[in-house]
Amino acid sequence: MEPVEVVVRGLNVWINGRQILYNVELRALPGRITAVMGPSGSGKSTLLRTLNRLLDLIPGARAEGVVRIGPLDALKADPYHVRRLTGMVFQEPNPFPHMTIYDNVAIGPRLHRLAQSREELDDIVEWALRAAHLWDEVKHRLDEYPHQLSGGQRQRLSLARALALRPRVLLLDEPTANIDPASTEKIEQTISQYARENQATIILVTHSPVQARRLSHQLVLLQEGRIARRGPTAELLPNSETITAPELGRRLFYGLQDIT
Amino acid sequence: MPDTRRVKERLFLALVSLLALAAIAPLFHILATLAYKGMGAIIGAGLGFFTQAPAPPGSGESGGIGPALLGTLWLGLLSGILGVPLAVLTGVFIVEYRGTPLAGLARLSASSLVEVPTILIGMLVFLLLVKPMGHYSILAGAVAVSLVMLPYTVSYVERALSQLPHTYREAGYAMGMTRAQVAYRVAMAIAGRGVAAGVLVGVSKALSETAPLLFTLGSARGAYPTSLGSLLAPGDAVPLLIFQLAQTPYENWQELAWGAGLVLTLLVLLLFTLVKLLVREVRV
Repeated sequence: MEPVEVVVRGLNVWINGRQILYNVELRALPGRITAVMGPSGSGKSTLLRTLNRLLDLIPGARAEGVVRIGPLDALKADPYHVRRLTGMVFQEPNPFPHMTIYDNVAIGPRLHRLAQSREELDDIVEWALRAAHLWDEVKHRLDEYPHQLSGGQRQRLSLARALALRPRVLLLDEPTANIDPASTEKIEQTISQYARENQATIILVTHSPVQARRLSHQLVLLQEGRIARRGPTAELLPNSETITAPELGRRLFYGLQDIT
Repeated sequence: MPDTRRVKERLFLALVSLLALAAIAPLFHILATLAYKGMGAIIGAGLGFFTQAPAPPGSGESGGIGPALLGTLWLGLLSGILGVPLAVLTGVFIVEYRGTPLAGLARLSASSLVEVPTILIGMLVFLLLVKPMGHYSILAGAVAVSLVMLPYTVSYVERALSQLPHTYREAGYAMGMTRAQVAYRVAMAIAGRGVAAGVLVGVSKALSETAPLLFTLGSARGAYPTSLGSLLAPGDAVPLLIFQLAQTPYENWQELAWGAGLVLTLLVLLLFTLVKLLVREVRV
């Protein structure tokens, strides 16, 4: 599949009459990671859910504006088609509890008939679990269930499930918010590698300036539903080893006050 | 002062315990009587109790509840075929299409149906099915008990599905599943035990109801419904047999009713034990 870029223009979103996003503009390029930061309730999750039309599931939600995923007009296209192109990983690890580790990864390829044979399916599952840096830990226990894994492993399983469909766009909603440091590191490696090796377009919502600095090329700051700042991460978050994470966050949002 | 408080507290505890005892005493009385008299009847009749038809009134012999037992099993099976799919799909519809007017209406109708006296459901089926057919039938009885089971199963299914964390649904949709795939492969599969419990509760309702059968089943006390054709003919069921035989002056029939009562109780108890086992949470 061709690499695609994500372009958002003049996006306004309402939920039950309350406006959540105001005139959001965004351009995310293939092979690049765009980090979205902002305080709780600033509309980060809503923005991601607008891109893959999960917004449709929220009663009373409405979006206006333009969202382009490659050639696709995402707000007007068939939502199932949009979601097929995009993968998503959520804040809570949510592998399906009634499916084995294997089936959790295989269900996407099965639904979308990506494998012609059992061997091909096995290959996809192994590839996805390797990509998510989980393969070595689970290769002998593929028929176990997610509740037998740790939280960090479960999140990597959710990531593998999304990667198995080789999404052109990967949306990550604070994927390491409640995850142990070792798994966080593996998840970050996975994200970088997937962007680089597959020319995927990645949009990462994160609360951690350090993570944004480590991973992202571009940074978007949302505040109260509006884009407050946007630019290369290296400019907005200068690489300083001496600055702590909270200090970095303070500096970032202190600077906002001149703008808003 | 503390002493009076302690005395008051003791008095209160004694009162509450006494009232609780008074509330559960009738239950134990019924169960004990049922076990005693029912066991007596079943042992007296032997294995024939489960297979034979009732003996003639006042004959001294007891016979059995064979046709009624078979009829009840048919009612359970038919309500499973007629009522369960309808109830499960209604529950799925209410949850998956929450917020739409039709789902709201379905929910309201299902919960109102619980309040409708079951005898009225019997009358409804009498008008819709028995009168046009010209006679009672097992099928009409099954339709009536299916309507009675409907709200119970719907509410169990609805509860099971709506307790499911939203994040699993989102995960399903996010990978490009359709609504039907999310309902079937994710929601129903994870909430499977809750759904199964709803089915069992419904079926046990169908097995134990009497009122909806009064106008619909007839009481073909001696005929064994062994063919599909016999489903269109009048039949019998255990609760109906109890209701009718217990009121007769014949001792051998009263005994049959006690035995039948015990059988029905055990049957329903079995189903409810299964429900309790199923309702334990799925590990998430």
